[in-house]
Amino acid sequence: MAYSDKVLDHYSNPRNVGSLDKNSEDVGTGLVGAPECGDVMKLQIKVNPQTNVIEDAKFKTFGCGSAIASSSLATEWVKGKTVDEALQIKNTEIVKELSLPPVKIHCSVLAEDAIRAAIHDWKKKQGADKPVAVETGR
Amino acid sequence: MENQESKTSSSLITPGDATSTCWSCGDMRAAHFCSACGKVQPPLPVDYFTFFALPRKLNLDPATLEKEFYELSRHLHPDLSARFDKREQEWSMEKTSQLNDAYRTLKDPIRRTEYLLRLEGVELEEQSKTATEKARATGEVKKQVVPPALLEEVFELNLQLEELRASQKMGESDPGLARELENRKAELEKKLAGLSEELQGYWDDWDRLVDSGSEEDRRKVRDKMVDLLNRRNYLRNLVRDVNEALGN
Repeated sequence: MAYSDKVLDHYSNPRNVGSLDKNSEDVGTGLVGAPECGDVMKLQIKVNPQTNVIEDAKFKTFGCGSAIASSSLATEWVKGKTVDEALQIKNTEIVKELSLPPVKIHCSVLAEDAIRAAIHDWKKKQGADKPVAVETGR
Repeated sequence: MENQESKTSSSLITPGDATSTCWSCGDMRAAHFCSACGKVQPPLPVDYFTFFALPRKLNLDPATLEKEFYELSRHLHPDLSARFDKREQEWSMEKTSQLNDAYRTLKDPIRRTEYLLRLEGVELEEQSKTATEKARATGEVKKQVVPPALLEEVFELNLQLEELRASQKMGESDPGLARELENRKAELEKKLAGLSEELQGYWDDWDRLVDSGSEEDRRKVRDKMVDLLNRRNYLRNLVRDVNEALGN
């Protein structure tokens, strides 16, 4: 099976490889895996607390070319989007952009999972940061 | 004398109960050969357990399976095709390929388990996609199928492997890192052995429930096996990758 040009481009020249400080309040980390093929993908986002805009994104993926390309593309797409906008990204859009064949659709699912997991982690941190409203009504 | 012979040969060659009639002689037929005239019967689209006349159970005796395999192979062998008519020749070829697939799948404990889970409706990829779509629609968090701690371990070990490969590429050796990876590999292999033991327990549960369990009970054991095989996949890949990186 041949990879599409776009997959090859992301694979040989991946964008945003690396890591962000996972302990930072503004950083959300998503670590997800696809056990069928043994892939593991880490995607991190840095969110501006005032605007909720994702200002930076990094990834590191151990897996096939399609998994690397999917996560590379995911980091490109989330950058500049608000958290809510990023949650709208669908795996099918990744499939379309990279012309992934049916056997590689799970790679795009993994990338969407990674975005969601990273945002969830960030949201959790924001929640924990703020004092919890307690109902005191009698 | 006749009785004695049927006792020693395979039940697949001379089966006891027949389900339909032989195309050739019209007698009640067996799964693979007619019990009356011995003619090859047309192949049926059956699962591998049925092919070997086995119940859908996970504990099976490899020696018996192997014996059945060789016995059937011999009876379907193309060298015998002079004895067959044209249809029988085609059927025997088709059956031989079915036989080989069935044997390869059932003799391996892990492949056998995976195969049974597929028969029982487990579609890992499809289920993962559905869960992602649900998370998208509801905003709920998708539960990862492997524990986060294992994912962390896989990720960290992959980083170390990458480091080792990079230093090897530069022509440097890093005996400390190599030694650490050897130790990690030993741990992984221990974990794999532990999983095999755990799986055996589920096999026993499953086989018991095939005879006397509820759908619900079987589903629980089925899910435990899926879970275990997912973890096992990662560990097996890691051992393979460490071996490769260390040049073992």
